[in-house]
Amino acid sequence: MTAATETDRALVDRVAKGDRAAVRLLFMRHHARIYRFVARQTGSEMMADDIANEVFLELWRQAPGFEGRSEVSTWLLGIARFKALSLLRKKKEDWIDDEAAAAVPDSADTPEVATMKEDKGAALRRFIDALPQEHRIVIDLAYYQGQSVTEIGEVLDIPVATVKTRMFYARKKLGEALKAAGYDRGWP
Amino acid sequence: MSAAEKMSRRDEMETLLPFYLNGSLEGSDLEAIEEWLASDPAALAALGEAEAEFSSTAAANETIRPPADALSRFARALDAEVGPARKPAGSSWLAQAWGRFMAVPAGVAWAAAAALLALVMVQSLVQPGGQSHDFEIAGAQDDLAKMPFALVKFKPEAKMADIAGFLDANKLKIIGGPTADGVFRLAIPATTAADYERLRGLIAAQPLAETVIEGRKPADGG
Repeated sequence: MTAATETDRALVDRVAKGDRAAVRLLFMRHHARIYRFVARQTGSEMMADDIANEVFLELWRQAPGFEGRSEVSTWLLGIARFKALSLLRKKKEDWIDDEAAAAVPDSADTPEVATMKEDKGAALRRFIDALPQEHRIVIDLAYYQGQSVTEIGEVLDIPVATVKTRMFYARKKLGEALKAAGYDRGWP
Repeated sequence: MSAAEKMSRRDEMETLLPFYLNGSLEGSDLEAIEEWLASDPAALAALGEAEAEFSSTAAANETIRPPADALSRFARALDAEVGPARKPAGSSWLAQAWGRFMAVPAGVAWAAAAALLALVMVQSLVQPGGQSHDFEIAGAQDDLAKMPFALVKFKPEAKMADIAGFLDANKLKIIGGPTADGVFRLAIPATTAADYERLRGLIAAQPLAETVIEGRKPADGG
């Protein structure tokens, strides 16, 4: 088996035996998605940088105890989620950096005016970014991270039914925002 | 089917569409979506809308660019945690195995300890005086079997490096274990019962020791 085709689980087994090349391979495979996941969750690329690094150090430390009950990607996302929440709790103040501030929709334009300036794809992107975090994170995990309903439940530590409810409301809100912007998609 | 029931089914299908698109649906959910896509004219349009969300979510995520030097900084952080990687030619296979073992917290290293113990037993035999000698395997087993010993369980949070340091400093050797409960058999280099008790007390007083149980004592009965 070549390194390119070696499964994540096989690489974790190698990490558990102290193989640093294996942890670097896993880093190369998963770092960007973990980094983006944390950046979207915290609104800070600085935090994402620190936490993503910590996630892979944690992978190194915890690999001997990895039982393979979930996919490696789900396991890493769960670690990232826990670390991000811990750090956010520590920071207490609702810290937001310049990059996150720039992502907040400009209140000078009403949604209708803003939408007139952009196409449907760009509008949709803006509406996704403006979703409440508990909804946006479910959208990100399903559409970008490729996680199943059950896996999202594991990452967020919530029941499967809650994952579905959040997905339902997230998509409903997107539909309503699009409708308000003149893109009626027939649902809700 | 009433309008309310139809809406409820539509809501359910819209909820599952993202998971159909990411390929994670299976079983009855997958069958329900496929049946809906095949039978409801509105379903294909809904799938198109979900695909647009899929693309927009990917675009929103991919505008975030991880730093180009992330891997090299991670490698440095890993070196800082476990020490620089050793060159294979510069160390024996036993030293490499030991190095990996030492990097693991004790709480997750019990299984590795058993394997490493086997390696130690075929490499050297330590006599009560603390000297290492080459040996015949059968003879080593005989000698080890006759040595005074204690049964010791270390705390799960104890670091293997600390345990090894303590054992080395006091010429103690692991000669058996761990059991399923994490109990090791430690050879005690004592020739009298008083020496044995002193060493047993010393082990029990260590913050890394959870339980110390008296095993075989020297023959003088002290």
